[in-house]
Amino acid sequence: MKQVELHHGAASDVGRVREINEDAFLAAPPVFVVADGMGGHDGGDVASQIVVEEFARLADQGYDPARGAEEVARTFDECQRRIERFGLEQRAAGAGASFHSGTTAVVALLVEESGQPKWLLANLGDSRIYRFVEGALEQVSVDHSVVQELVDAGAITEADAAHHPERHVVTRALGGLDPVEADYFLLPLPAAERLVLCSDGVSGMIDDLEIGAILARTADPRDAADQVVAAAVAAGGRDNATAVVIDVVGLAPDHPYDSERQRESLEQKLGALP
Amino acid sequence: MSDALHRPRSYRPGEWYAVLAPSFVVAVAPSASSRVAGLWELVDGGASADDVLDALVSAGLRQVAGFVLVSESDGLTRAIVRGDVTCSLTTAAETVELEGAAATTWVERSLPGVEAVSVRVVAAADPHESEAVDLVIGEGLVRVARLDDPPRAAQPTATQPPPHLPPPPAGPPPTSPPPTSPPPTSPPPTGPPPTSPPPSSPPPSSPPAAPAPVEPSPMDDASDTARTAAPSPGHDHDGLTRSGSWDAAAFAGPPGIPGQAFAPDVVATPVAVLHFSHGESVEVDRLVLVGRAPEARRFTASEQPRLVTVTSPHHEISSTHLEIRPGSGADHGTAVVTDLGSTNGTVLVQPGLPSEALQPGIPVQLIPGALLDLGDGVSIQVMNP
Repeated sequence: MKQVELHHGAASDVGRVREINEDAFLAAPPVFVVADGMGGHDGGDVASQIVVEEFARLADQGYDPARGAEEVARTFDECQRRIERFGLEQRAAGAGASFHSGTTAVVALLVEESGQPKWLLANLGDSRIYRFVEGALEQVSVDHSVVQELVDAGAITEADAAHHPERHVVTRALGGLDPVEADYFLLPLPAAERLVLCSDGVSGMIDDLEIGAILARTADPRDAADQVVAAAVAAGGRDNATAVVIDVVGLAPDHPYDSERQRESLEQKLGALP
Repeated sequence: MSDALHRPRSYRPGEWYAVLAPSFVVAVAPSASSRVAGLWELVDGGASADDVLDALVSAGLRQVAGFVLVSESDGLTRAIVRGDVTCSLTTAAETVELEGAAATTWVERSLPGVEAVSVRVVAAADPHESEAVDLVIGEGLVRVARLDDPPRAAQPTATQPPPHLPPPPAGPPPTSPPPTSPPPTSPPPTGPPPTSPPPSSPPPSSPPAAPAPVEPSPMDDASDTARTAAPSPGHDHDGLTRSGSWDAAAFAGPPGIPGQAFAPDVVATPVAVLHFSHGESVEVDRLVLVGRAPEARRFTASEQPRLVTVTSPHHEISSTHLEIRPGSGADHGTAVVTDLGSTNGTVLVQPGLPSEALQPGIPVQLIPGALLDLGDGVSIQVMNP
């Protein structure tokens, strides 16, 4: 695979309300993960940590860049098995039948498609992947949440979704009873010069406009990640907030051939225009 | 055709050919078997009862030894009967028997408010009558000895609520008078059928299992209706048949065209090959996305789409311009193109057809030899694999 230079920054904060941070992240180029654990102490934090460990192993051992989606699916399966096993152990040790451990996961990794490096993104749950291109922030992943399904069904608007009482209910996650299938996305690198992976402690506290504004004024991805998380905490910090920001460096911008501008400059050269 | 079972009827297998349409039923004698396929074609094409009658008698009445046509429109039920077949129309007040053999041409009768229709072929005594099973059918073509609308098994529960619904199994059986009062659709005074064993019968929840074997003649109407009232477990030929009303959910399959497999996102053999003007060839065995910088969204790990990047120095081609995928349903086995809302559009030239601009989001089936023009000199030739 062609070498791609990535700069990244990551930050995580327990927030102002929670006592433990159940979020976990991995920044091991070219693999990046944010996982938002669910289930309280010794539950969610372990589950999200398992996801990070498994993807760290993927990054460490290397993977076939042409089979990225399969590699990620296999890693998710392994995470699911480990979280299930952990749940069984905890219940056997007397944690109670209501013990539950699960986690969301968003993953970004570089793969190769048609001989070109591309971003393969994967999503399970309501953590998010954004891309920041030409000054605009756009959510790439589609939340696996009750409110997103309501939005898709046209029952509520996106504005309602931010205040819906069930906005924290996820419809897919690792550690559930049934094996789940992640959504995958494949983006060419120029279509995602800057990627943001974040937990719902960020996207639920500050809106997309604010995230976009921070990304626009902060060139360094490390500062950008810090500031996004700081803004989420400042906005209330009701949940653990985690963000990973990744920049693809050295992309030659794909300038279109602009016949209009060329003619103008010719006219300017000839002195026809001031 | 999802409501093909919307109007269930029951039939008993036999010799006659019956074509069941949503609003009418036509059955012809076995001697007219050569006409059956034509009738079905008519009915399947949405023909009315009158069209079917025209077709039946077009070659002369003598060509059709027997037929029955029962149609319903605006609450009026019309029955036409010819030959060795009888038809009984039951209204709230009376039951009208039409015997085809009684006329040299045909017997016709129209009645309003008909609640039940029963068509019976007059045949030599059938030794297997006692084991005959009433099967439920929606629309279709079957060989029948009798037809009932509404279905016989469903009749008791569907048409008559209180007196007949058996009390919970605890109810003491012997005190109730005749445990199988005939359904209200038949005139009550015909009296309790003599063949049904009254007091010694098992509890009413499993009413007379035995009236059929002792029934003297298949044409004995009284015992017939008595049996109608008792969907007996004795008729259960495989132990799985459920009497009474049926559960439509049991027939709810996956969406798509019945009888055709739901097209997978990835097919085993490519349905077409795309030859791009820049020299690349791509097989369509899965979703293919074409554009200046194509993006794939929301796919599963096993169904990763193929992305084809084309150069567009003038930016006439959108980043994800169009998709080509193996067709499903009626398009099965071919490739289907959809313009994904590209800025400058796509022009499609199919062999033998005028060129057309693709409407964004509207899939179009591709004929081998088709040419897609995306702009900026990029074109795709669609060929057989």
